Amino acid sequence: MTLLTAAFLTALLAGAITAGIPLLLAGLGEQLSEKTGVLNIGIEGMMLAGAYMGFLVAWKTDSVFLGFVGGAGGGMLVAAIMALLCVRFGLNQIVIGIALTLGAEGATAMLHYFQFAQTYPRLGAIASLPIPPLANIPVLGPALFNRPPIVYIALLLVAVFAYVYRKTYWGIALQAAGDKPAALDSSGVSVLGIRSVAVLLTGALVGLGGAFMAIVGAGIFVPFMTNGNGFIGIVLAMLARGRPLWVLGGAAMFGACLSLTTALQVAGVDIPTDVIQMLPFAAVMGVLVMLGRKANLPSALGAAYVRGAR
Amino acid sequence: MKSIKSAYIAIFTATMLSNAAYAADIKSIAILTPEQGTDFGWNQQGVDGAKAAGKATGVEVITAENLGYGDVRPTLRELAEDGNTLLIAHASGYNTAAPEIGAEAKVKVAIVDSPAALKKDAIVDYTASGHSGAYLAGHLAAKMSRTGTVGIVVSGEPPSWNAQSAAFAEGVKAEKPSMTIRYAVIGPAAYSDAAGGKRVTESLIAAGADIIFGQGNGSSFGMLQAVETTKATDGGKVFFIDVIGDKTSIDKGFLLSSVLWNLTPVYTAMIEDIKADKFGTRNYGISLADGSVSLLKTKQIPDDVWKSVMDIRDKMIKGEIKVEPKFDAPSVHSLVSQLN
Repeated sequence: MTLLTAAFLTALLAGAITAGIPLLLAGLGEQLSEKTGVLNIGIEGMMLAGAYMGFLVAWKTDSVFLGFVGGAGGGMLVAAIMALLCVRFGLNQIVIGIALTLGAEGATAMLHYFQFAQTYPRLGAIASLPIPPLANIPVLGPALFNRPPIVYIALLLVAVFAYVYRKTYWGIALQAAGDKPAALDSSGVSVLGIRSVAVLLTGALVGLGGAFMAIVGAGIFVPFMTNGNGFIGIVLAMLARGRPLWVLGGAAMFGACLSLTTALQVAGVDIPTDVIQMLPFAAVMGVLVMLGRKANLPSALGAAYVRGAR
Repeated sequence: MKSIKSAYIAIFTATMLSNAAYAADIKSIAILTPEQGTDFGWNQQGVDGAKAAGKATGVEVITAENLGYGDVRPTLRELAEDGNTLLIAHASGYNTAAPEIGAEAKVKVAIVDSPAALKKDAIVDYTASGHSGAYLAGHLAAKMSRTGTVGIVVSGEPPSWNAQSAAFAEGVKAEKPSMTIRYAVIGPAAYSDAAGGKRVTESLIAAGADIIFGQGNGSSFGMLQAVETTKATDGGKVFFIDVIGDKTSIDKGFLLSSVLWNLTPVYTAMIEDIKADKFGTRNYGISLADGSVSLLKTKQIPDDVWKSVMDIRDKMIKGEIKVEPKFDAPSVHSLVSQLN
């Protein structure tokens, strides 16, 4: 049987998009936190909370839209703890981030145990929104232009963030909170307020990514299902160094490489699976390290802001 | 002289009794699993098997579930300090930590996927392989496939799963040499990657597979979701063949079969060997002959197909058909390449 059929190529391309969207949302979220000086290591936990809440709400209400709202809320809930402990109380961002991830893993696994462990409920296929006439293009059409609305929204967010960062007062304030928090403070803007809002929005974005994994990606919630996607999002944000378009590029490349690994395996290419599966990580890091070296990370990244402290 | 002889007899008897008491002195064992023992698969079979073995032998069973795939040394130490005689480390990722803590705390450990680690009074391995059941599943898949293509999706390549993947492929080809077999791994240790399971399974379905043989713990639910929501290239239904556990209770009509494992005889034998002071002299496994490996019959399988598969099973038990397990990943890759 010929392997390179339109159906197979479409599935690979669609799979790349499906794998890349959670990374994109996680990367954009992390980038937002980092802009304001908060190194948000807890996004894996926020993503897991978003996956759990998103699935729970979508399954209970039979509404995908409400599921995504629930997912964003779940991520924000964990982010609120991060904002309280790290931004308001100034505790160590790395320690709290790790603790939040471990806590979210335990909490969601326990909730899953009590709610779903005997029945493992699953959602049906998610409705798509075709964009005519692009949706009719062979292979590209069904994979790119006949997807659930959340895919288009996620892509649109890249443009929104790029605009906000470059063209708005908010973007300057975000950057100042990460680079020169004392200067921002002296101009009368609350550094803690800016950082808190950024962390909460990060939670919403990352939670949305988790909900995407559970609702669109898998159609089910299982413990630990984010499988390190949050951490990959951190890597993308660090390497993209403040540029949303680079996060998109990294996420797209990662998704494409994941699909390529599947294609190589299905085609029976006889090289060790481990080598094939290194491809996404190696490719993304290689490209971003080579091309993304010019931009700098915020100078106050990871440091708690205390007014008057030297 | 008589009193000295009596003293020797008394000492000898006391020693024998104390040895017997020591050998039989096993009050509790513990099992550690990376995920909850409710996954209808590897973790559940481990927990259920240990509990059943404990009940059969009068030994208390402590379960430590959902430990993840990271460092479990603190949990192992705690369970050893609690006085458990045997620690069953039910994940290949625990193969380094368990023997280490076992030696440190002088507690017996059971691990998987490391047969060479066998050590008297200390370490046993139970690389349970359902390859014989997977071979039968291969025959079943070839008989039931409409498109002539079947898929194998795995979330990792531990030895026991490699053995099943290889045997499944051999069974498919033995039944119908013209069949095409597609093989894909979701990711490195992607055991809980349900989204990855769905993505890869959808790709294999698009590549023509109408029957998916899936091995994946939590990720197998993503595979199941893919067969439930995706049509085969001929427009018909895609079926799923699971491993280890029985998902019948949550099936929506897409579960064709499962290579069922029963680990109760394995753990029972371990406990009995501890009592008989023979622990560490042999490894353990499962087989078709004693029923610890079997194929699940669902209503999707026509009776005549099932009967012919059971005939093959009988021949395997009699030794007329032999399937050798291939535990390493390169063997699986080259086998699938050769067979295609």
